[in-house]
This record gives sequence, C-alpha cells and structure tokens, in this order.
Amino acid sequence: MNWLQKPIFVTGATGFIGGRVCERLTQAGAKDVRALVHTVQHASRIARLPINLVPGSLLDLASLREAMGDAKIVIHCGLAPARGILSSTENTLKAAAAVGVERFVHMSTAAVHGLTPAPGSETESADLPRTGDHYCDNKGRAEGIVNSFHRRGLPTVILRPSIVYGPYSAWSIRLVRELRDGKVTLIENGNGACNTGYVDNLVDAVFLAIETEKAVGETFYITDGERITWGDFIRAHVPMVENAPSLNEISKQEVRDYYRRQPGLIWGSIQQSGQLLRSRELRMLLRRIPAMERVQTALWGWMQAQPEEKRERIRARFSPSDGASPESNGEFSMPEEVTVATQTGTVFFSIDKAKRILGYEPRVPFSRGITMVEQWLRFANHL
Amino acid sequence: MGGKLRIAILGCGAITKSRHLPAVLAHPDAQLTALVDTDTQRAAALARLNRVQCRIAADYRSVLGEVDAIINALPNSLHAPIIMEALNAGVHVLCEKPLATTSADARACCELATQKNLVLAVGMNRRFQAGSLILSSVLEDGLLGSIQGYDCQYGGSYDWETTSGFYFSKAEAGGGVLIDYGVHLLDTLVDWFGPVVSFEYQDDDWGGGIEANVILDLHHRGKYGDIHGLMRLSRTHELPNRLLVTGSECSSENPASDTDVVLIHRRLAGQEVTMTLRRPEANLGFRSNSFYKQLANFVRSVQGVEPPVVDGWQALSIIELIEQCYANRHRIPEPWSELADSRFEVSS
Repeated sequence: MNWLQKPIFVTGATGFIGGRVCERLTQAGAKDVRALVHTVQHASRIARLPINLVPGSLLDLASLREAMGDAKIVIHCGLAPARGILSSTENTLKAAAAVGVERFVHMSTAAVHGLTPAPGSETESADLPRTGDHYCDNKGRAEGIVNSFHRRGLPTVILRPSIVYGPYSAWSIRLVRELRDGKVTLIENGNGACNTGYVDNLVDAVFLAIETEKAVGETFYITDGERITWGDFIRAHVPMVENAPSLNEISKQEVRDYYRRQPGLIWGSIQQSGQLLRSRELRMLLRRIPAMERVQTALWGWMQAQPEEKRERIRARFSPSDGASPESNGEFSMPEEVTVATQTGTVFFSIDKAKRILGYEPRVPFSRGITMVEQWLRFANHL
Repeated sequence: MGGKLRIAILGCGAITKSRHLPAVLAHPDAQLTALVDTDTQRAAALARLNRVQCRIAADYRSVLGEVDAIINALPNSLHAPIIMEALNAGVHVLCEKPLATTSADARACCELATQKNLVLAVGMNRRFQAGSLILSSVLEDGLLGSIQGYDCQYGGSYDWETTSGFYFSKAEAGGGVLIDYGVHLLDTLVDWFGPVVSFEYQDDDWGGGIEANVILDLHHRGKYGDIHGLMRLSRTHELPNRLLVTGSECSSENPASDTDVVLIHRRLAGQEVTMTLRRPEANLGFRSNSFYKQLANFVRSVQGVEPPVVDGWQALSIIELIEQCYANRHRIPEPWSELADSRFEVSS
C-alpha cells in the first residue's frame, strides 16, 4: 500500500517547514493528513488545504495521543521552546510508539554541531559535541531520545537540515526588510558556509525517508549540496530590494572587540535596571504598589543621607556607558553574537549519505529557489 | 415596549467579551438577562469579570421565553438555525456577521422576520464607525469630484483571539477571509457605490479548505455611476490596511489604524497635502464605539423609533454576492508552490 494512502500526522504544521510538508502532501495526493495545531491563529496557511487540523500540544501527551489517532506515519517538525524540545520530542515518540506507527521522521538540525560547526563534522559519523547553546544541545539530546526509541523498535529516521529557505521563510522576510533599512552586514566578507537547503528539497528528503527501508535508524544531513556562502545568500536578495543601501562589512574580530567592551550579563542588567528606575514614569507606576512605594521612600531617604560626593558616584555607576557605539552611528546595527557564530562557519555538510541511501537528489538549485522566494515575497507584499 | 429591553447574549467568545457585553452593559435601555454558552464556566467567568448578575445558561432555548431580544454571537453555522428559533419564539435578533453561511438560510431568516414583524439586524459595525460615516458625507458632498475607483486592501497575520477556533472550520465558518472580514467591506462598498454588476474573484483555497487570501475585482453601478474597485484581503501577510477612493479632484483614505478619520489627499498650490477629517463629537468612552452605536440602533429599532441600519435583507444581498464569488472562484496563481518533474507531484 502506497504510504500516501495511510494516515499521516504532521507536527509543526503551522510553521514554515511543516506547512510546506502539508502542502506537498496535498499535492502528492495524500488522503488523510492530520496537522497538529497548537495556536489556531497560526493556521491560516494550512487551513487552505483539504487536510484535518487537529488541536493539541506537543507538551501534553494526552492531547498528542488524541490528535495522532491511528496515524501510520509521523513527520515531526514541531519545535517547542529550547527547554521543551526534549519533552515534546519524547511525547511525540511515546504517542507514536503507542499506536505503532510505521515511520517516524524526526526533523533535527545540523546545528546539533553548534552554531559554528567544527571541522570534522562534515559527515553524520562525527560525534556530537556539547556546544553550550541550549537549542543546539537539546536538539542533539533529542536525537538521542529518537535513537533510543528506534532501539526499542520504532522505525525512525533523523534528518538534519541547516539553513532552510523558501517561500514563507523568516530568513528571507527578515533579510529583505533589513536590506531595505540598510542593516545588513557581511561578516568576514560573507565567506562563511551557509549550507542552504531549499524547502522543497528538504520535503523530498522527508518523503524519501518515509519510503526507503534502509533509512530506518539512520541520520542524514540534508542541504542543497551547493557550496553557497552567506555572502551568496545575502547578495541573492539584494536585487529584489529597490534602491537597497550598500551592504556593511565587518570582521569577526571587530564584533568580538565590540562585545568585549560591553558590560557582562549581571552588571549590564544592574545598569539597565538602574537606568529604568531613574525614569520618572516607571517610578510613578511602581509607587502604586504599596510595598514598592515603601522601598522607594526608604531608598530615597538613604540616598539623601549620603554625602553629595557619594551620591554622585552612585548616579555615575548607573549611568549609561559612554563611548562610541557602532549602533549609535545610524549606519548599521552591530550583528548579534549569534549571527556572527552562524555566519562564520567553514563546514559544508556532506549529503553523500542521503544520496547513497535515500536516493536524494536536490532538484531545486539555489538560483531557482531564490527566484521562487522572490515571487512569493512580491505576492506577500514584502517587496 | 415598556421598560428596558431584556437581552440574552448567545456565545461568550472573544467578540462578546470585548464588544457586545460592554455595549449592553453601557446602554441605559438594555438589560442583560442571560449569558448563554455551552461552556457555562466561561459564561459565568465573564459575568464575574464584569460584576454582572444575570442568568447563566448552556441552552439558549431555556432563555427564549424570558427575553425580548438576543445577540447571536455563536459560530457562523449556528446563526441561521438559532435566528429561526428565536424569531419563532417572538424574540428580536441582532446577529453577528455573516447573517448565514448560505443565501438560502439567510433568505429564510429574512422572510420569517418580516412575517413575524420582528427586528432582524446584522452586526456590520463598520457602518457605525466615524470614518465610514465621514466618507459617506465626503462622497455625498462631491468633495472627491467624480469617483474613479477604489483600492481596498486589508491584511495581516491572523491574530483574532478566537475562543472556539471555528474560523478555520469550513463547516462552521462557511468560508475564510472573504466571509469573515470581506463581508464587512462588501457591505460598506455596496452601500456607497451600489450593487455589484460584475466581478472577478480569486482566492487561495486549495480545494476543500478555506481561503487565506482574496483578490476581488468589482464593478458597481450606483448613484455615483459605474465604479471599478479592487479588494485584496490576507490572513497571511501585511497589506496597506486602508480603503483608498480616487476621485477626479482628490482621493480619500480610510486607514485601519484610525477608524475615526478620513484622510483627504490632494494638491494644494502645487503641493501634495493630506487633510484629516474628524467629527468634532465629544469622546463618550465606550459609547463612541461602533458596537455601542450598533446596539443603540438595534434598541431603537425594537422600540420602533428607526429601522436597523443593516437589516437582514441588506445582509442577504452580501451573502448572495459572497456565494457567487465562491461559485465562480479562480485560484490565485502560486508559481512558488508548483514543482514539475517530481515523482511525488500530483498537479493540484
């Protein structure tokens, strides 16, 4: 029996990848697709399809069981917040194991190797490191849970895409907005490995993972297999934006130096709190809370009792740090550290294993993928 | 009718909580008799939140004998059957839009209301917004010159705080963004520019779902002559969110961000200028709200003082138009969704 005739359960269906999975299942003629919907307001895209929207939460096993029903195939694209990644994956696996699904495709990420994967992580055989990043480490642990269910007999397949782009993708929406605002900065000349994966190539891999027996228990990197850099990715969006200001450039070292000059988390938080407390509006609001009024009165009294010199020192400690900030010059905003980490990797992941075992062949090249992104961005009023 | 109008509100979802209930509680001639919801805890919580004493009921039938009127704020598919029951029980009805999900049901409701000589008003609150009323005057006054057309685009990521989520069920909602939001716009556009004599309708329903995007070309024939207009609606992305009416002398804009004003764009001494038209009425708090004004009109209609601004028959004409749109739909091209040469592909 063709797997498309069987009941298929999709998590993350209101998101970018899960939404496209549902569309492609519809196009492929799937007869019984159940899309898990946690926040109904986000379901506009998939509500257009002749599929069943089933309410439930990845963090609530009972609701998942009910939503999954007697599904034979589970495509788990759902994403809970960092700390919920493990329980949401475990819940989905438990529900799937309970009903005896025939294939469980788990959408992991190449970021299990961190935001800046170390050389040596090009193939799936590399051990997973502790990256120190909640998301990356939890996605790695989630793979461990998937594998433990596989050892207990659940036919699982793990896919690890990297930078998935396409219509509805936040990457492109944000990029054209920032290009228009002149806020896009090429880090290290944009030479970092981008590891793009057009969303339809990824969905092809999902379908192949379902129908390929040898895929069970395996993990696959899924990208377009082209050596696209972040510079290529960003520059491909530039012509879409009319009169886009030129790109800013910065080195990794300059970004590092900038953040090194910034106060640490604790001291930065104290400073910011101090600045907020100095705003009259906030103080007036806080005074409505009787206990806060007492605290404020006591603090004010204490301050008044200090010598003027000490009062001045305290005020200075809670003043904003001066010094020229690249953010304040109005020309560009300093890339966040996470952006620098993401855009300065050197590893291009290999898709040889996916080609060999799944028969995966990325059929949408970058040039065509970008054309389709532009068509959608224009339709959706982003350009 | 003597004394206050005894009203039951059916359905205690988002629109009741934020609009209908505050309107009833603020109106001096209205008395909230009952809140009805199959989820009685939700209804009771709403009563407590508003510190109101009224009956809480799960079954609307149990309150029909105790009220003069109902506000029907239930999911769309429950509008017509419950209107019929209420009218048969001699109860006046203010129904949330759309009046019904089919024109046949809407017509049956209108005929029964006429036969029973009861008020059937439909919640098209945009008619009561100050900006809409100002635009009516602008058009009447000829301020724009001869009307050349309009461009009406409303869209954004869907964020209505739906309690039941029925909006995404075709069976319960009757359709997508057109019947949900477009019904308001079509109501006002037909009121201003006359009946639609032809149209071209596109949406993005893949067949069996509900549309999130609509592109509708309309041709009206009315007191301002033949008017062509474009309507675009979206639940997936941001649109300009305004109605722009272009005239030979200048253009008017009703921005969604401020429903109390009309902006007039024109050239003055060779310069492009924008004038803001605003009514000099006092701020009456919630009484300035279009839902309050809608309720006030309903109450006066029941009292026999004035007709409903939007009665069932007017609403029926819009349901008929929407039905024709759905029947003659073309799919919005989505070239980014179509992939050739795939063994997985089945042309949709």
